[in-house]
Amino acid sequence: MRKNNCEVIRQELDELTLGETISVAAAEHLRECVECREFNEKQTRLRQIVGSLGTVSAPPDFDFRLRARLANGANGAAFHFWPLARRGLAFVVVLLVFVVGAIVVRNVFRRPVQNPQLATEQHNTEPAPQPVPAVEQRQQQNPAPEIVATSSDKHPQTFKGERPLRIKRPLVAEDFSNERAEVIDGREPSGAFEVLPLDSSLQSFKVSLDDGRGNARTISVPTISFGSQRMLQTANQYASKRDW
Amino acid sequence: MTVRRVIQIATIGGALLCGAVAVAQTPATSTKKPMTPPKAAKVSADKLPSAPQVVTIIHRLNGLKMFRLLLRSEQQVQAIENVDSAFNLMDDVHTNVTAGLAMNDGETIAAWLPEAEVELDAPLPPAPPSPRAPKPPRTPVAAFPRLQNGFFQPDITVIGPEGQRVGAKYIGFDAVTGLSILRLEQKNATTASAIKEEPVNAGDTVLLFSPEPVTKARAMAGAGVYARMGALEGRVQNIVAAPSGGVARFKVAAAKLSHANIGGVALNEAGETIGIVDGLEGNEASILPVALIKRAAQRVLEQQSSVPRPWLGVKGEAVAELKLDQILNQGWEMQRAAALADERRGIMLTSIAPNSPAAMAALRAGDVILKVDDKDIRTADDFTWWLEQAGPRSSVEFTVARPDRLAEEPVNVKLSEKLDRSFTFTFDNRVATTRGSSLLGQGIETVALRPPVASQLGTTAGLLVVYVEPQTPASEAGLQAGDVIQSINGKPVSTFKATTQPASFTLEIVRNKQKLVVTVPVQKKQ
Repeated sequence: MRKNNCEVIRQELDELTLGETISVAAAEHLRECVECREFNEKQTRLRQIVGSLGTVSAPPDFDFRLRARLANGANGAAFHFWPLARRGLAFVVVLLVFVVGAIVVRNVFRRPVQNPQLATEQHNTEPAPQPVPAVEQRQQQNPAPEIVATSSDKHPQTFKGERPLRIKRPLVAEDFSNERAEVIDGREPSGAFEVLPLDSSLQSFKVSLDDGRGNARTISVPTISFGSQRMLQTANQYASKRDW
Repeated sequence: MTVRRVIQIATIGGALLCGAVAVAQTPATSTKKPMTPPKAAKVSADKLPSAPQVVTIIHRLNGLKMFRLLLRSEQQVQAIENVDSAFNLMDDVHTNVTAGLAMNDGETIAAWLPEAEVELDAPLPPAPPSPRAPKPPRTPVAAFPRLQNGFFQPDITVIGPEGQRVGAKYIGFDAVTGLSILRLEQKNATTASAIKEEPVNAGDTVLLFSPEPVTKARAMAGAGVYARMGALEGRVQNIVAAPSGGVARFKVAAAKLSHANIGGVALNEAGETIGIVDGLEGNEASILPVALIKRAAQRVLEQQSSVPRPWLGVKGEAVAELKLDQILNQGWEMQRAAALADERRGIMLTSIAPNSPAAMAALRAGDVILKVDDKDIRTADDFTWWLEQAGPRSSVEFTVARPDRLAEEPVNVKLSEKLDRSFTFTFDNRVATTRGSSLLGQGIETVALRPPVASQLGTTAGLLVVYVEPQTPASEAGLQAGDVIQSINGKPVSTFKATTQPASFTLEIVRNKQKLVVTVPVQKKQ
């Protein structure tokens, strides 16, 4: 408790100015506390010494010089910050190079196929393009659209009406673990069947027919078909089991 | 100092650039949803058993053959009105890619070619002269410029599993099974593997091999179509026993079946051949077993030509499949119709083709064929089987129940033959003008060309010859497929009408833009 009083009293004594009187409580404490009395005597003597010093008048250009010095001080601070600023700038430049480099490298490594046909096929996951039945009937008296397939012009796997080529922005990584490795040289990995290049017909077959009953229609045939994807229905495949 | 800092910055920049390259190539953890897993029925290439007996067959058709196919199809064709401006009869217009089965001898291929009709009775190249039996050279009947030989020959290439390509000759068509039998031009070009008659049990795993387009091949050499042998996995659902024992067919269920799978080769898990897909019924593939494939190949190889199927000339339905009112509609009395329905045996005839063996034997609609040569008939497959066992041009005895007779009657029938597998493919089925019919009787198949099309072929309107039956007067006279007939017996084809049977046809034709005259003696109908 006393120690706390000493601290409070000494703070009051420290804040006193020359000629200022102490409080009653502080006076009573000083009578009882030798240590605080000595502290008070030191502070009093220090104030007396300071108080005994003469006043010094400021030079006339003090204000100007003070401002100039402050200004110089500010300039000096900026000068000391310059190395840090230059490093930051360098960091920004390097970061920029990093970003540009990453974009360039990614584009180089993930550039999509430029062949439009194959690129179209790339999004086609169906095993076999089914010829789409299409018969252009000029007269509808004798329609038989289900037995004729469309033509695919010179590129049989690029069908009319198919969505135009959409070059998808390549991703850095895609999961192809569920798929076969892409064939890039026309050969399959060992143990599997060869990938065969086929010379499909270049000329399409598209004719307009007169069926002898006043009906005219156009028949288009795909340049390539797989299995029994029939272009024209004949007896071989669809033989009825009820005809003998 | 400045130089040192520049070096420091450059070093740091280079290191970061290297890091950027590494990051760009490292697959990052994708937040994308994983791609759809492969279809359960699709077999990974790595899991495919070695199947050297499965080959890929490339069958090409030129413009003329396509016209022939068009005529032989169920299309009603009287005339060709227009074609593409770039159309050329000689050029390929269609390519079919299908699977084939290399037989044991290393040179025979059995395949289910969808466009086999177009090659039926195609003239084979002349055989090399044999010292033992030299054939007298044929008298040149026409000194006409002949079209290239390859123009008429089947254009078939067989590709082995390792990519080797070999030409193949079309030996013949087996009308019973629908298989085409080919012979490789180079023996042992494909690996011959033993084709055993492996037992098939319901529930067995089956791999259906058939070529499919490669959609993800990044062709380095530019655009093109690529194919690869793929496989679907399925399971044997049921086995149809042949009435005479053995397996007639078996059905395999598999997901994603399509017509592209017809003609595919069926293998078991050990890679042994068990059949060829010859049809689809919903999600089930009908498999022709190895035993029947072997017999088909044997039939065609023995004759070295197409083998027709027996033809009766009827349409009908198994009684077991009919309802009582359907039996009544065929003229049966209630009591007998009910008894017939209860017995569930026989084939109810619903129509008879005119001038057919059935018509000649006085079979009528409503008759029920109960037996063939004393073998009971219960299903349509039974009837088909026993007719095929009898063979074309053979005589069979039917046991027939008739609505107007109480007792069963024996009926003897001499079967005819047909080369197609269907009732529908007949010459008579096509729309033919009078002039066309006249020529058809001479083994000449034609299609009329309208002026715009004819002008592309260097002629005016006329009849394009798409097929000339070999060993007929027309063939002997030098008429060829590809010729355009402009007049018959001096009359333009547009006005010619055969009111009476002439002794011969004098045909003015255009071949390679050159006018020629061919006289064809009339062939008497047999």
